[in-house]
Amino acid sequence: MKRLVLDAEGRVQPVCSKTHIAYSFHLDQPGGKLWIDFAYEPKNLEDREQSRARIAAGVENYTEPAQRELVMDRWESFLPLKNLITVSVDDPARHRGAGHRHDPEQLLLIGAEEASPGFVRGELPEGLWRVTLSLHAIVTESCSYRLRIHHEEA
Amino acid sequence: MRWMACELHSHTYHSDGRQSLLELAQGARALGFDCVALTDHNTMTGLENKELVEQATGMTIISGMEWTTFYGHMVTIGLIEFVDWRPAGPRDIQAGIAKVHAHGGIAGLAHPFRIGSPMCTGCFWEFEIADWNAVDYIEVWSGTFPSIKTDNARAFRLWTEQLNAGYRIAATSGRDWHAQDRTEDPVSVTYLLLDDSEGSETERAVRALAAGRASVTMGPLVTLALRSETAVYGIGDRVPKQGQGNGFYAVATIDFQVRADKWAFPGAGYSLAVTSNLGVIGEISAHAAQSDYRFDIPGEGLLWMRAELKGTVRGVRTTIAFTNAIYLDPGEGV
Repeated sequence: MKRLVLDAEGRVQPVCSKTHIAYSFHLDQPGGKLWIDFAYEPKNLEDREQSRARIAAGVENYTEPAQRELVMDRWESFLPLKNLITVSVDDPARHRGAGHRHDPEQLLLIGAEEASPGFVRGELPEGLWRVTLSLHAIVTESCSYRLRIHHEEA
Repeated sequence: MRWMACELHSHTYHSDGRQSLLELAQGARALGFDCVALTDHNTMTGLENKELVEQATGMTIISGMEWTTFYGHMVTIGLIEFVDWRPAGPRDIQAGIAKVHAHGGIAGLAHPFRIGSPMCTGCFWEFEIADWNAVDYIEVWSGTFPSIKTDNARAFRLWTEQLNAGYRIAATSGRDWHAQDRTEDPVSVTYLLLDDSEGSETERAVRALAAGRASVTMGPLVTLALRSETAVYGIGDRVPKQGQGNGFYAVATIDFQVRADKWAFPGAGYSLAVTSNLGVIGEISAHAAQSDYRFDIPGEGLLWMRAELKGTVRGVRTTIAFTNAIYLDPGEGV
């Protein structure tokens, strides 16, 4: 039986780039499987003018003056700019992995015998777990996410 | 002692790569590598079947992880346990590196000048480094055909500046290899000089890089030795002041046979230089028929020396290979 243990939604803005949002929840039974259903949207910044401005700011910050014109000549090669939020998991005792990838919709599994790529399989201990959303970049004016966690009991 | 051909920066589908560890190891083997370090973003689960893949391919696989933080990417190798990157703020990398060391690993700046967020999140190194002595290495060449890229040239300059400031930091290349896509570009190799002591090849490879026994190339393997009447010093070694006596000279050696058939630079017109904190010590033409090249060492005030091989690749005059440094204790040279 799958039991819902967390259901959260949120909305983040570009100022939230380079921040973490952590959700803690209690597993009152050991064992079984954890299902983490995470999605965010939009993925891409579609507005070309906003994109160009953000790219120009990045080029100003990160390249040497002599290179800037050359890099800006091919600014479109950086399109589309993307939001990136990654998920990592910690059980009461140890780190249980991360999924550093661009998919805006992910259904992740952690169980005793199997786990999604990037996550650590093994028995699920009872106690306070933590799922961390790492907001590497939010480029759209607003980005909404939904995090749902089910515990499939053994 | 023997040189091992290593690829030190790679990913699998356990992060954002599009390959399994087996596919990665097979691909590396086909390119003439002996060793690959798996440095997935913020996870080490791709190493779960490491021994099976080593047995199946004959490759050495070094465990690692790329700290993929908001303020820079840091390649860590040699540790077997996860060290948490998430608490690292812009002024906290010193503590992070200390934790990597405490877990038996070493740490290097990955592609420090690659354009950063939001184009490539966290890719540009923005961490404040309070003590460069803690940094084990800098990935000065990133990607394929790395020597012509301007962000790599900047990383190479950063490395040189730190050597000039007296820090002993190694330099590596890393393809940042995500998938088995074919490339016609030259591929760079970091050769590590393994000692003959006990321990696994992984441990010896990590120890070699920690000691700066590394040479980087898109083709031939270049090595460097400083010789006196009584001693020979190799890449990564420290020459004591009293060792810098009469008859002290450098020998650079080029092995054109490594990874035979995996690279070719026809009409390269090679030139070989020994460079130092005082600039170029000597530069001469090099040819596939000759392996050893002698350089006299003039002057005083040498802190470090390295060899650099240049040549024409696809119409561009560029660096093809460079050694890591041999360090000289300050004092009167020659």
